Amino acid sequence: MAHSARPVDSQQLLLGLAEQLKVPFIQIARRAELAQFGEAVDAQAIQATADSALQLIDSYLLGVRLAENAQQQTLLLEPVSVSSVLYDTAHELSNVAAFYGVSLELSIAGKYGPVLAHRQGLQAALMSLGMSLIEALPNMQDTQVTLQLGAHKSRYGIVAGLYSEHQMLTERSLRQGRSLLGKSRQPMVGLTHSSGAGVFVAESILQAMKLKLTTTKHNRLHGLGAVMQANNQLQLV
Amino acid sequence: MNIIIIEPDKVLARTYEQALQSAGHTVTVAVSAQTAIFAADDCKPDVVVAELQLAGHSGIEFLYEFRSYDDWTMVPVVIVSNVPAGEFSGSWELLRKQLGIHSYHYKPLTSLRTLLRVVNAAHEKALTTHV
Repeated sequence: MAHSARPVDSQQLLLGLAEQLKVPFIQIARRAELAQFGEAVDAQAIQATADSALQLIDSYLLGVRLAENAQQQTLLLEPVSVSSVLYDTAHELSNVAAFYGVSLELSIAGKYGPVLAHRQGLQAALMSLGMSLIEALPNMQDTQVTLQLGAHKSRYGIVAGLYSEHQMLTERSLRQGRSLLGKSRQPMVGLTHSSGAGVFVAESILQAMKLKLTTTKHNRLHGLGAVMQANNQLQLV
Repeated sequence: MNIIIIEPDKVLARTYEQALQSAGHTVTVAVSAQTAIFAADDCKPDVVVAELQLAGHSGIEFLYEFRSYDDWTMVPVVIVSNVPAGEFSGSWELLRKQLGIHSYHYKPLTSLRTLLRVVNAAHEKALTTHV
């Protein structure tokens, strides 16, 4: 857990993002075409698809901006409550989760001191991870799947992540995925049929804040999360 | 006609299912190679529509296993994939001759109407071959 990863290559990330964005465009085009088959056009579904694609693009752009700011040492970090970010992320993900038949749960037991981060960046990273996992979770028809958003303390720091019963990604496959990003259509074959760009967009945002993306376990669930250090001085604020 | 759709994207799978059902077909959706084999066992497909890019086992692995069963050697398979056909040009002989692919379609450019047409064509060709 918590190995330091090489910075996400922006050119490869862009390629992965372009590949990933084909999916929502195909979904929208085909759903719109359904009307010609006498089926009602599900405007809500089209809107949810477009919203998730726009969110991914926004997160990518935010990652690029934060990385530039970090390079110029103008990235402003602030004390951030992990619990509040997780709460807001769950709220923002609720529409797309319902659309994919995934239940969301919050598990924020315990008290965590504030961490030094860029609040919008942390939330965007968790949103991108959440969207990737929601799309990848193996549910169909009868099966009800749950994605848990939670925080826990580990020996590496505070981990804020998203968890499910399915172990879709190991640390090794995440490492391999990083090296295949932009070169393979499916860098993380165990997780997703697509490019998994959301995971790498999240990682690029976290890296700009000098935080780490890791595979993680919590309450017998498997997931992906951000490792952060609690700042004792911030607790006095 | 019984059709199995192997499509890892759940939203798109539902869309294909609705379109083919509205044309009077019985559709079973599988999101992975593993579930597709179970689905084939249950529904005795007349045609399979498959994506090659799946999470876990690939579509090619599915095809090898699918064709290894006597009951399914003649079932037509239509590929609708995110991978452009050009990238498979080196493997086309394998896909067509060894794995019995009826036709290959690039997903972003394949409308529901085209899907319906190729599924019908694949089924008709299989029927005339059997006769």
